[in-house]
Amino acid sequence: MPLWDKTGWIPTPQRVAAVLWITFLMAGVATGAFFSAIDPLELKNCVHFPELSRVGAYTIGFLLCWLLAASSALLAVFFVYPAPPGVSTAQPPKTRP
Amino acid sequence: MNSPEPGTKSPRARAPGPAHDVDDALYEKSQKIYPREVHGVFATARVAAATVLLGVFYCLPWAQWNGRQAVLFDLPARKFYLFGLTLWPQDFLYLTFLLMLAAYSLFFFTALAGRLWCGYACPQTVWTESFLWIERLIEGSRQQQMKLDQSPLSLRKFRLKASKHAIWITFSLFTGFMFVSYFTPARELAVSLAAFDLGPWEWFWLGFYGFATYGNAGFMREQVCKYMCPYARFQSAMFDKDTFVISYDGKRGEPRGARRASADPRAEGLGDCINCTMCVQVCPTGIDIRKGLQYECIGCSACIDVCNDVMDKMKYPRGLIRYTTQHELDGGKTHVLRPRIIVYGVILVLLCGLFGWRLAQRLPIGLDVLHDRNQLYRETAGQIENVYLLKVINKDDAAHQYHLTVDGIDGLAFGNNVSAVHAASGAVVNFPLSLRAREEALTARSMSVRFTLTAVDDPTLTVNAEAKFLGPIP
Repeated sequence: MPLWDKTGWIPTPQRVAAVLWITFLMAGVATGAFFSAIDPLELKNCVHFPELSRVGAYTIGFLLCWLLAASSALLAVFFVYPAPPGVSTAQPPKTRP
Repeated sequence: MNSPEPGTKSPRARAPGPAHDVDDALYEKSQKIYPREVHGVFATARVAAATVLLGVFYCLPWAQWNGRQAVLFDLPARKFYLFGLTLWPQDFLYLTFLLMLAAYSLFFFTALAGRLWCGYACPQTVWTESFLWIERLIEGSRQQQMKLDQSPLSLRKFRLKASKHAIWITFSLFTGFMFVSYFTPARELAVSLAAFDLGPWEWFWLGFYGFATYGNAGFMREQVCKYMCPYARFQSAMFDKDTFVISYDGKRGEPRGARRASADPRAEGLGDCINCTMCVQVCPTGIDIRKGLQYECIGCSACIDVCNDVMDKMKYPRGLIRYTTQHELDGGKTHVLRPRIIVYGVILVLLCGLFGWRLAQRLPIGLDVLHDRNQLYRETAGQIENVYLLKVINKDDAAHQYHLTVDGIDGLAFGNNVSAVHAASGAVVNFPLSLRAREEALTARSMSVRFTLTAVDDPTLTVNAEAKFLGPIP
């Protein structure tokens, strides 16, 4: 079942934004906080890593943060929706009690 | 705010059916909005604000200060240059201060006059305005644009669309380039770009920011404000009945209706609104301000300008749509000075003062002392020795010779001869240092010692750092 079909209450741009944009902001904050405390060149001494400039390390760090945050948000959005009809065999009540 | 309008389909009002049909109908498919061009006091203010802001954004990286770029967030070198100021990762505090200042300014101005930020200063608004301007330049007025979009593909349509997108993309890439210029020196970047010799990361960020500009200002537009902006959602919490917002004066305008310019509306039982829908046509978010305050309204005041024009033509007084407060519309008085404004204002002034004071007190020198982690202390011939790792940071624009002293325990002395330290401009000097004290002089297992670092040529450049001196139980 595609995740981004129209089963939800929320329009697609808003759902995409909820996942990508908010996590973009958070990844920016996380990257800033992390790299202001830790110099990627010092980190390279501890971790085996190919030759990489600081800007490269910032970019990869940012993209990793974004990926991590976005996967978490994606799962959150996914589980917020009720299972679509057909997945569950239970019949919805015809009228409210 | 944002309550469903009468006539809007709500899920309960719909005939029962499979769940997703109901959900489908709950939101309209977003339609392209063609804002009509508008002239007037607020439109001029908006263009002026956009010109100034874009001018600053595009020109600042070219400005020079003491032989270097005036504003440069030099990420490769981990230094931020702001005119005469050089900030280091250790100065993270100032960034926090700056963010707090920005947040409280937003609260203050929102409580005072609504979404001033959104309407005049937000990058999303500013770049969208520029893109709309380019669109109008190529495709013509609102009507011409709508007609063009509805017409089948022709050579003319293709030519217009292609040139519009070509200009948009060029403008976006230039914006991306200028964005990267804040992080990599602009002049060198321009030379590298001319030779198509940028580093992979510069290409990546140039493309990324360029694409974001093209997508957000060319296509997403008001949807960014509606779906992506957290401020749009929580700004209503800062509103009260004395906040200046753009409102339609329903008492004066209703009942709305068309009439001849010469007709007396009162005799025909009409209000001042002639239902020309100009306010809807100019709205960049496509709302009808006459339905009341809505979260989609970005406070751009385009409807005020256009309605004033219409009122002038009808020879009615201006201000059917105007900046006003709920209290005034209800026939009361507006209280500008009220607890909310005073509290936000006081916090803002305090923060500004504290920020300025900290910045003025800031010395371009830094000293970090770390106690050696491997060995707490060592006993040597009646003396106790502790080892530290010192980090001297010269944040000044000139090289300095520093003199190091230490006190806190009687007869405390350096074990190695490092009382003089030389550091080049912007350098960080790391070195180990041992301290020795006689065992009798120690009164506790852990005692505080204080390191003092002073520039030899400038005694005002002095900094202290505390550390612990460890020993056996006395």
